[in-house]
Amino acid sequence: MKRTTIPFGPQHPVLPEPLVLDLILEDEKVIDAIPTIGYIHRGLEALVESVEYTEFGYVVERICGICSFMHGMGYAVAMEEIMAVEVPERARWLRLIWAEMSRIHSHLLWLGLGADAFGFENLFMHCWRTREEVLDIFEKTTGGRIIFSVNRIGGVRRDISDTELAAIVTKLQQLGASFTETARIFETDPSIRHRLSGVGILSREDAHAVDAVGPMARASGIRMDTRLTGTHLYDRLDFEPVLETAGDCLARVVVRVREISQSIDLIRQAVDRMPKAEGAPIEVKVRGLPTGEVFERLEQPRGEVVYYIKANGTKYLERFRARTPTFANIPAMIKLVKGCDLADVPNIIMTIDPCISCTER
Amino acid sequence: MDGTAFLARVEQYHRDGWRLALINVTTVLPAASAAHGAPGAHGAHGAEAPAGEAPAGEAPAGEAAAVAALPMGGPGVFEIAWGFARDREFETIREQIEAGTTVPSISEFFGAAFLYENEIRELFGINVTGIGVDLKGQLYKTSTRVPFSHAAVKARLAALAAAPVKPS
Amino acid sequence: MSFFSRSPWILHYDGSSCNGCDIEVLACLTPLYDVERFGVINTGNPKHADILLVTGSVNERNIEIVRNLYRQMPDPKVVVAVGACACSGGIFARAYNVQGGIDKVIPVDVYVPGCAARPESIIDGVVQGIAALEAKQRMTA
Repeated sequence: MKRTTIPFGPQHPVLPEPLVLDLILEDEKVIDAIPTIGYIHRGLEALVESVEYTEFGYVVERICGICSFMHGMGYAVAMEEIMAVEVPERARWLRLIWAEMSRIHSHLLWLGLGADAFGFENLFMHCWRTREEVLDIFEKTTGGRIIFSVNRIGGVRRDISDTELAAIVTKLQQLGASFTETARIFETDPSIRHRLSGVGILSREDAHAVDAVGPMARASGIRMDTRLTGTHLYDRLDFEPVLETAGDCLARVVVRVREISQSIDLIRQAVDRMPKAEGAPIEVKVRGLPTGEVFERLEQPRGEVVYYIKANGTKYLERFRARTPTFANIPAMIKLVKGCDLADVPNIIMTIDPCISCTER
Repeated sequence: MDGTAFLARVEQYHRDGWRLALINVTTVLPAASAAHGAPGAHGAHGAEAPAGEAPAGEAPAGEAAAVAALPMGGPGVFEIAWGFARDREFETIREQIEAGTTVPSISEFFGAAFLYENEIRELFGINVTGIGVDLKGQLYKTSTRVPFSHAAVKARLAALAAAPVKPS
Repeated sequence: MSFFSRSPWILHYDGSSCNGCDIEVLACLTPLYDVERFGVINTGNPKHADILLVTGSVNERNIEIVRNLYRQMPDPKVVVAVGACACSGGIFARAYNVQGGIDKVIPVDVYVPGCAARPESIIDGVVQGIAALEAKQRMTA
């Protein structure tokens, strides 16, 4: 049979970001997919040479505008570990709350884009309307909608008052209640089922073999979540990752839908369990120059991120490396695309929740 | 590095159910040229760049031979860390290699390694042999070729020394 | 013909942006900001577009894509650079793979500042882009 090569991207209606896959087809079946990245590669890891470690956090945040809080937090936590800084407890709780809010906004954002990709524009609008309410909370508590710069080595810059924390929980619970209808559509609507169910199945064994992370792995039944390690105060919360077993596109959507209500619940637990210590210190002054190295792991909305930082006792770090979740999930995506119909390629690519600017840095 | 012993260790991680968390490479600069010496004495970013640190400039033209011709970034040492994770555990295998040394691919055991290995080859100029999916130098395309090679890093540091960036 | 002139179609291209400005561009299309009330429609086809919204800076790989998209758009056309990176390279200006703002490759008519640019300022940029488009139409008419 004649083989055809179809370039997918970089400018493609379903892709908000440039990614290129050379799809090699036999008739309508995809035989092979060859990825090309580098459209967003900025080379920011090399900026450690000219940006001081105290300011490098602003660069790290801008690895990606969706997980910007988690990137800033990961950098701060890693540097605190290198410099043996004891961070005030309130700051750690606030970080956890913002981190879970990032997950809610990121999943809503993705569910919208996913809905747009499978042709359900109404749902796209609903998800993004809901997401704006989360962004309002972000803007009120940090001053930013996208880039927050609220993390600093040694703590956080802004406190949230106890009354405001309670109000946030109420607001998020209302949001969760109004989201149930949207969630129900994602899980049960026949047209969505028709489009996603049984498409792009990643078995549990395959997910392990290609080292998938985050919702991608959890949708294939792997109980994998960096939050389970109990770091960053997750050991003080009741937490059990959302698992699905089907491993298809629908399962990946459902995992993210359920993680939204889970995150709302985690924020409620955090506000309940954190000491009512309004006005307690939220940061410590950090002095001196860092020496040492650290590997830091964190659960971002898209999965596990790994940072490696090496400091050599100067103002400039020797090496900064971020392995982002999409980088880890691209091999899984390529595996899924092989053997599927050309028309299913956009859905498969979208359901890994690709974040290309994270991948390429 | 001892390729056989290394692959045996990787295979052990694979058999014990670990997953590949990252492969990181650090361009190790000799203390003198890096001038990342004693705290406070940040030579390379100040006026006193060591002598003989002329910018290495762009690698010669001839894009086709981009990946094949090694070492392209001059002599030096790279530190490679293969990181493996299993639930709460995280372990690394570390190797220090001279530029120009070939490194065996681990994609036989960890299929996802191909992306890291292609990236290492393009950004650091380290020749990884036997990559599962060989992208033949097409993954990235950068203005500075092999941007993390010793020559490229030294050139950037020298440029910074000549025109320091004012702290904001 | 004036009642036809105020409904520009937009082509959005993401240069080497961090996604921040991209999602704000998308946020403009969604219910809270709803730029479609100005008759603005986001299209994926450069041949249908009047305004090119570019987020992020140019690098070695996307420089040709930006040029190509601009070339394919019919005259008169307007380019709006959204966000600090598209204006000047922003925080990444010194990174080895960033060549600078979009104006290194194609002429830019409107610069929208911000990191990330807020939806309000993006809409303002588009509205100024409409004015620039009308001015160009008058010149070619």
